[in-house]
Amino acid sequence: MENLLANCVEKNLSQFMFTNAIFFCERLLAEFPSEVNLQLLARCYLSNSQAYSAYYILKGSKTPQSRYLFAFSCFKLDLLGEAETALLPSEDYVDEVPGGAAGHYLLGLVYRYAGRKNSSIEQFRMALSFDPLCWEAYRELCSLGAAEEASTVFGNSAFQRLQETFVTQRINFSEGANIDQLTDSDKASRDTSLWRTEHVPGENQQDPKIRQLGADIPPDTDRQLNTNGWDLNTPSPVISQVLDAPPPLLHKNMLRSAVEGSLMSVHGGRRIKFSEEMSAEATEGSGRRRSARIAARKKIPMSQSFGKDSYRLHLSPSESNCVPSPSSMIEKCRIQSSKEATTSGQSISDIGSSVDDEENKNPSESSPDSSSLISGISEVLNLLKILGNGHRHLLMYNCQEALLVYQKLSLKQYNTHWVLVQVGKAYFELQDYFNADSTFTLAHQKYPYALEGMDTYSTVLYHLKEEMRLGYLAQELISVDRLSPESWCAVGNCYSLRKDHDSALKMFQRAIQLNERFTYAHTLCGHEFAALEDFEGAERCYRRALSIDTRHYNAWYGLGMTYLHLEKFEFAQHQFQLALKINPRSSIIMCYYGIALHESKKNDEALNMMEKARLTDAKNPLPKYYKANILASLGDYHKAQKVLEELKECAPQESSVHALLGNIYKQLKLYDKAVLHFGTALDLNPSPSDAVKIKAYMERLVIPDELAMEENL
Amino acid sequence: MATESSESEEEGKIRGGNDKLIIEEDLREMSKNAAWSVSSCKPGNGVTTLRDDNLETYWQSDGLQPHLINIQFQKKVKLQLVVLYVDFKLDESYTPSKISIRAGDGFHNLKEIKSVELVKPTGWVCLSLSGTDPRETFVNTFMLQIAILSNHLNGRDTHIRQIKVYGPRPNPIPRQPFQFTSMEFLTYSTLR
Repeated sequence: MENLLANCVEKNLSQFMFTNAIFFCERLLAEFPSEVNLQLLARCYLSNSQAYSAYYILKGSKTPQSRYLFAFSCFKLDLLGEAETALLPSEDYVDEVPGGAAGHYLLGLVYRYAGRKNSSIEQFRMALSFDPLCWEAYRELCSLGAAEEASTVFGNSAFQRLQETFVTQRINFSEGANIDQLTDSDKASRDTSLWRTEHVPGENQQDPKIRQLGADIPPDTDRQLNTNGWDLNTPSPVISQVLDAPPPLLHKNMLRSAVEGSLMSVHGGRRIKFSEEMSAEATEGSGRRRSARIAARKKIPMSQSFGKDSYRLHLSPSESNCVPSPSSMIEKCRIQSSKEATTSGQSISDIGSSVDDEENKNPSESSPDSSSLISGISEVLNLLKILGNGHRHLLMYNCQEALLVYQKLSLKQYNTHWVLVQVGKAYFELQDYFNADSTFTLAHQKYPYALEGMDTYSTVLYHLKEEMRLGYLAQELISVDRLSPESWCAVGNCYSLRKDHDSALKMFQRAIQLNERFTYAHTLCGHEFAALEDFEGAERCYRRALSIDTRHYNAWYGLGMTYLHLEKFEFAQHQFQLALKINPRSSIIMCYYGIALHESKKNDEALNMMEKARLTDAKNPLPKYYKANILASLGDYHKAQKVLEELKECAPQESSVHALLGNIYKQLKLYDKAVLHFGTALDLNPSPSDAVKIKAYMERLVIPDELAMEENL
Repeated sequence: MATESSESEEEGKIRGGNDKLIIEEDLREMSKNAAWSVSSCKPGNGVTTLRDDNLETYWQSDGLQPHLINIQFQKKVKLQLVVLYVDFKLDESYTPSKISIRAGDGFHNLKEIKSVELVKPTGWVCLSLSGTDPRETFVNTFMLQIAILSNHLNGRDTHIRQIKVYGPRPNPIPRQPFQFTSMEFLTYSTLR
């Protein structure tokens, strides 16, 4: 009965019938209380988004697998302290972080959320050393600013690690091979039967295999989570091969079937459990990331055996790092949104059919083709090197380099959502809004269900003042997913463009409610408060954004602007300095830093900063304007005039340039020119208050003339 | 000033009102930075009802005419528009009729800048503070006083449901003499 129930639960889990699974798991646990079954129930709860239930049942468990699940539940419930203690090795527990790379990654996240930057960096690095395909750990390192060069991370040591991993797996399983007749339930039963060897001594056909496998697996009381097993098989490669139903095309490769066949065994079962937990929560950010990681790792076996092309074929249009593979649980690894459900529906039937195909092809070769393995690994690592490099450059704001790196990708990889969003962001950071717009538009058209990065897209449209398109985007995003913070950010930007700052603020606050750790939403809130002149509120929002992500330079910039408005110029300087440290190529920040310096009477430094800004970005006309302003206020009218005349050539339609020129000519007593420029300024549609100002200046100009005339008379 | 006083002798008459309040983009509400007070009120219908964005609640005065609403700012601000919500159909003899708007540094030197007569208003009534001279688009002042000199049907007390005061938007870039108008300048002027 135990087997039957366990099979049933596994099947329900794989088909997303969570409540059914929970029901049967409870029966199972009641009849046969054991650690394994407890973990199974925890998995069911986690899959059904009931982290609190999983938390309660796993409290106090000591086995590594349970500890990992418990830590995961704590993390979901935001109980970071408990998660940490569960994950850290201690005398009671085995001397290691359970879960291998995944455990380290989880611990890294816990530390990051708690604000312990160095510990988190250490953990992410360990995660990567355990499993070089833990891409999310690398991403986290990039965003913390502590990532090493991609070529070292995904270089030779990674290569060797992967090789070891995969080769040892094959050695383990080659003896346990020849499992031809496989359906889902069979596989599950075999797996569970292994666990339950104690309970069910008499499973005939599986015994020999068990014993064989038992021999390979170093004896350990913890049958479910063999710590050595963790080391050898950083989980995913097995599972994906177990559950991955490659499209029929790929079946032609006998090697694959051999590998798959051999892997339909114990470890596969364990891994199912493990990765299912991992992919349980697909809607929350961290869950998403973890699932992305698993998905990324699952890429290996695919590519190792199939080669690069086949797994790309396998990729439905999605980012390269997330394999939306047919397998049900991998499907759960939805990074962007919940719309890939349709792929999974098909994939489940695929599994069935492909497994049948498997049966036909007798895995005659049990010896792995090592050269294809090597080429597979190296291809994956090369891809990761490029992507990692690009991502690292982007987050260090070396946008030009990032763009160059991404160009090296093949067209197929380039046109995936993730890469397009990265490229779009690179253009955005360079203030090249037109190119950013075209890239993001392409990304959105091709992948309308993918929401990551759409908040940046909405900001690009905001900068370009495209009200209609922004409105459309916001509507589309909301219709795709009302519960994603990016959609609400887009809506907020839409209102903000129309100057309805109160509503915009409400929208951004909604985004924050949906995901407290969505840094950009906090920054945007801050911008809206600033627009409403509520500078205290703005400061609060910016600081909150910075507490989540210290390297979010937009928030530093926002703080600087707030202090400028409040006339606290020293503070403003400090904030702009910090912003510049993070993003040293932003001419806009340099300009404002210069303004702050000027207001603090450090005029030479201010002028230098403006020069620097001008050199950094030749397309930005503002450094010249600000420089002229500073020179004029210092009384150096001739220089100011020269600068402005140059500027006038570049930007003839700008009213403020003419207005400032007018003022300067007035100081230089060239009244005719002054009048001319004031007139031009008025023609160019200045804001109403400026118009009044300029008219007032013009009036005052006329009077000295009249006086002069009267004197002559 | 000469032009203004001649204007105040003519009485502008305003009929009707708008149901919806539509304000130009380049104006923003100034009321948040101001201290509001009234000359008298009936308990339960005090000054907060003027600022609660609720058209059901109203301020009811309780004394002799003229009834006064005082709006005081901490520093001199530019004001362009005053908007009132009044409804003859609901309030009948409580509806204000003659309104005088005064501005100055404080209670001691208020001068009338606008005078209007409302005729059966039903909705939002916009009173522009600009003079005819383009230089006088704004009124630069510390204090604004709205005086209700008389009501419809010679009512003694008055009801006003909402008041909003508008001025120009400030320069989003601090410490700059002029605002930017062209796309290129605006693109590079802020980070978001």
